[in-house]
Amino acid sequence: MADSVNPAVTSSSTTAPSQAPSQPPAENSPSQTLPIRDSKTANPPAQSDKASSKPKDAPAALVTGGDGASDKPLTPAQLKAKAKAEKAARRVKEKADREGGAGAAGGSAPGASGQPRPPNTPKKDAAGGGASQKGVKGAPPRRGSGPVAQTGAAAAEPKKKKEDKSVAVFSHLYGQQRRTTVNGAAKEVHPAVLALGLQLRDYVVCGSSARCVATLLAFKRVIESYTTPLGTSLARHLTTHLGHQISYLSTCRPLAVSQGNAIRALKLAISRVDPSTPESTAKASLCDMIDNFIREKITVADQVIAGSAVEKIENGDVIVTFAGSNIVKQTLLQAHKEGKRFRVSIIDSRPLFEGKSLARTLANAGLDVQYSLVHAISHAIKDATKVFLGAHGMTSNGRLYSRVGTALVAMSAKERAGGVEVPVIVCCETVKFSDRVALDSIVVNEIADADELIPVNSPQQVTGLPDPAAFTAPPVEPKKGGKAASAASTQESTDSTRVPSPSPLAKWKDTPNLQLLNIMYDVTPAEYVDMVITEMGSLPPSAVPIVHRMSTNP
Amino acid sequence: MYSPQLSYMPSTTSQAMTPGLSSFLKSLKSNPIDTSIENLISLLKRRQICHSRSCATATAHLLRSVVSLCRTSESAKLIERVQSVGRRLMAAQPREMVVGNIVRRVLGLIRDEAEDDREAEFALSESESQPQTPRAFDDASMPLDRDSLAMGTERSSRPPLTSMFSLLSHPEPEASLPSTPGSQSPNPIPANGPSSKDLRAEVLVGINEIIDELDQVDEQISTYALEHIHSNEIILTHTSSTTVQKFLLRAATKRKFTVIHAESYPNNHKVTHDTVSGNLPSDDDLLSFESFKKPLIAHGITVILIPDSAVFALMSRVNKVILGTHSVLANGGLVAAAGTRVIARAAKVHQTPVVVVSGVYKLSPVYPFDFDSLIEYGDASKVLPYEDGDLVDQIDVQNPLYDYVPAELVDLYITNLGGHAPSYLYRIVSDHYRKEDISF
Repeated sequence: MADSVNPAVTSSSTTAPSQAPSQPPAENSPSQTLPIRDSKTANPPAQSDKASSKPKDAPAALVTGGDGASDKPLTPAQLKAKAKAEKAARRVKEKADREGGAGAAGGSAPGASGQPRPPNTPKKDAAGGGASQKGVKGAPPRRGSGPVAQTGAAAAEPKKKKEDKSVAVFSHLYGQQRRTTVNGAAKEVHPAVLALGLQLRDYVVCGSSARCVATLLAFKRVIESYTTPLGTSLARHLTTHLGHQISYLSTCRPLAVSQGNAIRALKLAISRVDPSTPESTAKASLCDMIDNFIREKITVADQVIAGSAVEKIENGDVIVTFAGSNIVKQTLLQAHKEGKRFRVSIIDSRPLFEGKSLARTLANAGLDVQYSLVHAISHAIKDATKVFLGAHGMTSNGRLYSRVGTALVAMSAKERAGGVEVPVIVCCETVKFSDRVALDSIVVNEIADADELIPVNSPQQVTGLPDPAAFTAPPVEPKKGGKAASAASTQESTDSTRVPSPSPLAKWKDTPNLQLLNIMYDVTPAEYVDMVITEMGSLPPSAVPIVHRMSTNP
Repeated sequence: MYSPQLSYMPSTTSQAMTPGLSSFLKSLKSNPIDTSIENLISLLKRRQICHSRSCATATAHLLRSVVSLCRTSESAKLIERVQSVGRRLMAAQPREMVVGNIVRRVLGLIRDEAEDDREAEFALSESESQPQTPRAFDDASMPLDRDSLAMGTERSSRPPLTSMFSLLSHPEPEASLPSTPGSQSPNPIPANGPSSKDLRAEVLVGINEIIDELDQVDEQISTYALEHIHSNEIILTHTSSTTVQKFLLRAATKRKFTVIHAESYPNNHKVTHDTVSGNLPSDDDLLSFESFKKPLIAHGITVILIPDSAVFALMSRVNKVILGTHSVLANGGLVAAAGTRVIARAAKVHQTPVVVVSGVYKLSPVYPFDFDSLIEYGDASKVLPYEDGDLVDQIDVQNPLYDYVPAELVDLYITNLGGHAPSYLYRIVSDHYRKEDISF
């Protein structure tokens, strides 16, 4: 639940209406954690009044503010209050920017003020971070339940100082905590981008290509609704305008390699727009460029890759794949359509279980599918004849950067006890090639919320019979979360003794010395990869940097 | 000798209802022996006793009752009786190799005691049951001659047969003390007269020693912990093996290190979560009687829980991989919880030493020719929950419980006898089991 800390504290500047009652206590938490308090108290008291009066108006201002269009006409007094609130919010944001460091850019700035900042001064900041962590603990699972955590923050009191819960080796990757709501997003952020950000965060839009396409489509809408302000040119201003969107997206989930490449291409196209072209023409050409990019780099590329990957599948093959790669799915479906007879063995992993939907699609299409989890890799690989892997990216030193666990599959394929190596084939569009290098999975990675690892056993009642679980654990989980959040520490302790927690890990943040690590990717050594199938042909992994240079500097 | 049973008592009172090790041990005294045998067979079949050590303890206790109730005066009949019970137990759950191991050790005990008694009829049965033993002298004259020989010369002339003897007085300091006088005291007795009762008594003493060994094995193994775990190391482990936990706990009393714990989803992750977070596991009869006073985190050891898939990503930072096991095979390979093999392989790729901690009782004389036969498959609904029931009809879901890990992936075995290279294990096997018992 770590990332729900962020919006909770963020709510000091901008709060959704539902949280209005809990606003005053939450208002205090950032001021206690960071030196903001000093400056705040130095300000005339009117400012804090403004800040606290603001929440009623702020949501309207911010959620619809991107379009600049509000449904209800505002009275002059409301307008004035809104302007004041915005000003106050901006001030807080600027202050936070200064103090929070460069890491928190754009819309994330207010959130950064409450963020623990683990690497710098854990001793001092731990109190603040701990308080916010404490407050959120016990709240229901993060996905799709962002705002609820804020009631937790309301009860957040600075308690005993908390240890740093980030795994030391990965401390460089624990940047800012992920955004959980649209609160605090810069007002320039387009609603389409706001929605996309939440979808990215909740893994609704998941997978490197899908994220890339969704981002580009959202940016297309941004460009369509964009008008160049007076006194500046499109080429100059649109880039900064996109910058707001991008920084918002990156606070929802770190950008994928493909997203980064697409954004780079788009920015390049914008910078090449001749200042003399009329705005409508420029916008149309940019939208065309986006469409072409999606078509060339992803849609058609996928078809080409699937086409050449299908050729590698022979009758009687047993194909092992890991998690759920879209391009692998396309390849297998196409091979099946062409009448090839083969078996697919899907290896899946916690916590995303992406292979499940792949298994479902393939099974519905009539393929022979076997499904198992990471623990059964060595069993699945035993009768494999080929391994097909999707990619999140390919690093410049030829290593495959993909969903965590891929390296285990590739390694098992290469070191089978029988002595016969199984060919490992990676399907990857060139848009996923990166100029970064990585020797191991620690250099580049993405840390996901560790709470995703906590098994949520929510028994769903199917029959009308009384739920047997209800006798042992009467409070339903969300209810318990709310209760625990509103409760003081003493009540929490009695609560924990009375009601058995659903998982022993549920309170891992309060358990000293216990850390959970949920990384998203790992890096597979180049020697485990026999072939990378791209839209430019089938390559050895060592060809990645060359192709990447070719495709970025045509 | 009865201390292990006493320590089971708390758990039996709390959960006498659930069939398991504790309820079995409790019922062992009251039930007639045949009922107890049937009871254990069904427990094994239903997997209500499934941990290696629970199986071993149950088998040892049952065999103690069998031997003590066996009203025979001949060692051959005793062996036959134990063999028949052992065969049924092994047939009940062939993959629990510890059951066979314990039966073989008891058989070895009986044979040793019988040889020490040196009765004429046993010499005959021994000569026909062990044709491969090299004999320098004529078979017929040899047993008669030996009667007059001194103990020491006999031992030196026939080392393979007395290897079991030397084993019992191997490094275990507490165990060696009772065993040495115990095995020497009967020597004058056979000269006095018929010794069937003494034979049985000696065997019972031996079985009690096995039970004691099972009880203390984790402590004995953990005494080697400080040799292998040093300050600031990063240790990776997998599943919630009691042996590994005790090993790490012992090291934690002196040193500060970091433990990365792979959760072994889906078969053992709940217990792993309990172990990691320090919740007392209440449903597991193996762990409940263990005085699991403090978890690792309470000793100030940082424990990082990771999903199994992240093992490769983290392996480059790991100094040592410490694994528990289900059973160890004579070739140095092992059968352990599923997922162990990829972990061991990832460690090999990263040149990280793999240490397997295991009691000697898990060491099986079986040599695997068909690895697949060692693997047990478990509940598929753990892989694919009932929510995805629509998929179950369409796809083949696999949930193997065990992995076979070849010997070349293991760098070191630590047993209660000390540390061994995997290539040395065959020697320990030949010390522990007699050839004629390997396939009984």
